[in-house]
Amino acid sequence: MAEATAPKPSSSVKLVLLGEAASSLVLRFVNNDFQENKEPTIGAAFLTQKCNLPTRTIKFEIWDTAGQERFASLAPMYYRNAQSALVVYDLTKPTSLIKAKHWVAELQRQASPGIVIALVGNKLDLTNETSGSSNAIGEDGDEAAEPEDDGDARKVSTAEAKTYAEEEGLLFFETSAKNGTNVTEVFTAIANAIPETSLKGARGPGATQSNANRAEDQSRVNLTGPRDNASKEGCAC
Amino acid sequence: MESLSDTKWDVVISGTGLQNSLLALALSRSDKKILHVDQNDYYGGAEAAFSLQEVGEWVDKVQKDALQPFRNATLWKADSENPESQKLSFSRAYTLTLSPQIIYTKSELLAQLVSSKVYRQLEFQAVGNWWIFAEGSLKRLPNGREDIFQDKSIDNRAKRSLMKFLKFVVDYENQTETWEAHANDNLQNFLSSQFQFPPQLQTVIAALTLSLDPPDNTTVRWALSRIARHLTSIGVFGPGFGAVFPKWGGGAEIAQVACRAGAVGGGVYVLGTGIQDVQNAEPRPEDEATSSLSLSNGETVRTKRLIPGTKTTATSKNMTSKVIAVVSSSLNSIFMSSVEGSPLSAVSVVVFPPNTLSIEGSQLNPIYIMAHSSETGECPSSQSVLYASTSHREDSKLVLEGALSAFLKSVDDSEAQILYKLHYDQQESPDSSLDLAFDDQMLDAVEKQWKEIVGENDTASFMQFEERNSMNADDDNDDDEY
Repeated sequence: MAEATAPKPSSSVKLVLLGEAASSLVLRFVNNDFQENKEPTIGAAFLTQKCNLPTRTIKFEIWDTAGQERFASLAPMYYRNAQSALVVYDLTKPTSLIKAKHWVAELQRQASPGIVIALVGNKLDLTNETSGSSNAIGEDGDEAAEPEDDGDARKVSTAEAKTYAEEEGLLFFETSAKNGTNVTEVFTAIANAIPETSLKGARGPGATQSNANRAEDQSRVNLTGPRDNASKEGCAC
Repeated sequence: MESLSDTKWDVVISGTGLQNSLLALALSRSDKKILHVDQNDYYGGAEAAFSLQEVGEWVDKVQKDALQPFRNATLWKADSENPESQKLSFSRAYTLTLSPQIIYTKSELLAQLVSSKVYRQLEFQAVGNWWIFAEGSLKRLPNGREDIFQDKSIDNRAKRSLMKFLKFVVDYENQTETWEAHANDNLQNFLSSQFQFPPQLQTVIAALTLSLDPPDNTTVRWALSRIARHLTSIGVFGPGFGAVFPKWGGGAEIAQVACRAGAVGGGVYVLGTGIQDVQNAEPRPEDEATSSLSLSNGETVRTKRLIPGTKTTATSKNMTSKVIAVVSSSLNSIFMSSVEGSPLSAVSVVVFPPNTLSIEGSQLNPIYIMAHSSETGECPSSQSVLYASTSHREDSKLVLEGALSAFLKSVDDSEAQILYKLHYDQQESPDSSLDLAFDDQMLDAVEKQWKEIVGENDTASFMQFEERNSMNADDDNDDDEY
């Protein structure tokens, strides 16, 4: 991309996924891909994807729950140092917003205080508000209602979710992983919302990035060899 | 909530202590159906790490239910009403670990964490400085031969015999004529008779073994292997250190990462659920033998194999007394590096040889303090955490208190007050190691269990995994792919 000029500062940001079919949103973002009957987990330790902002590049390290949330068995290391979280609900299922609220509370309890949380209502394609196919049927039959007469399966109003998001200080979007609506926008908004001071390496407000990185490199031991210590593993600024 | 009884499991693992978690990691690519449960509502078993609030809950449990292998847990907090005293931060600003084992750089554990690819989710820090307490002050232990040459406190004669010993010990396996006749003798006699070490040098050498027993009760065979490991580990991953420690809580962090790998591989994780009863199901001709397990959540599951958790029957009388203390100072002086180019030390080892404390009664056993700086992520930045342990005796709580105060006095830091203390005793058992350094024997046990499960015919190598295909479209960059 912008090879000619000096490289933009680049930082790694840990993003954790929670809620209904969050993986499908990420696969749309990372691979521009959508699979109708996706397994709930990605099957990879984590995915990475860059997000280019005008002044810097954010490299998302995207952590999937690997299914450990199903029996409330997520480890503390999942939340640790997560600078951002994506909490997804299915806007055709009211119960999934309740679950999403549970995850938001859990993040507020377990994650770092400054974490950027985006609340995302997915399956916008099942409403009649976009040009996307409106008669697609949700993957699980129980609550994902058949499209009604007006072709609108929406069961959670934008206003309700948005009001909640505003109360809790969350970013809010409605998306379709299926046709891609608003997906990139979610990640760009998260990238923009992450305060400069919380970027990897920064240790508290006021720490300039280069100093902070040096401090971090000083204590890190690279197990794959004494050479190139910290040049790869770190944030490669 | 979905039901666990619908699946016929290949393996049910009970307990998420380090050993069983490593087994879950080893099996994470085996395509076996694995259910991993833990009766505790936290990961890590006897190697768990806690916030302050979780420590409180744990202490209650130890006091009420005698939570094996722990006992005699008591908590003390500085008077927070006193405006003069420094303050503890919020509960989750702390991660206090029950088992602060250091990992020598030559340990096969590190090689396996790398070959299984999970090391990327861990961060390792250097155990850089070793201190020995003598006559009321701390003395830095020499960190290799160069240090010994420069050490003016060792006279030349002692220096020569020390160099002779070091040369021998790194090659001791090939020099059996020097030690085999004395293999079961005690270290103290061996060092004085074979190497003419003065008592002060004997304690320095004994400190490197991390033995919980005094040198006159530590066998030569055992001690030589420990000293050799210590010396040959220095420099493996960089200058100035021979051991590492995982950031954010040591073994607890490895257990969590290993369990996550198990989950990524399809294993199902259920905390707060133990196994109450095991019944061997009616063998059916077309089936392999299965057991039927009653879980504490009321469900019954069937499995071909059960890896049991903590044995309630203690197999050993060995017990260690421990104290974890949060200190209101960063204690910078003991983490300062002495070797150029070495990483910042996040953990320092402080050794109190027998009878070095001036306390009431006697200090018969060595005491070790693992000092953790805030770099470990275990406490806020202006504080540090001390993990002290000694072999259990009647008075070991007092002895540990004595070591803490002698240590704080010797660092001469007026800021350094103790804010928080957790005392407890830990009994030795197969899944509760009292060793202060990670013992590779655990890996042999894991490999044996793994081999039994995957079968002799499986050609896969233990803990050798390819990178998972991360479906990563971001392949234009030069960074590591995950």
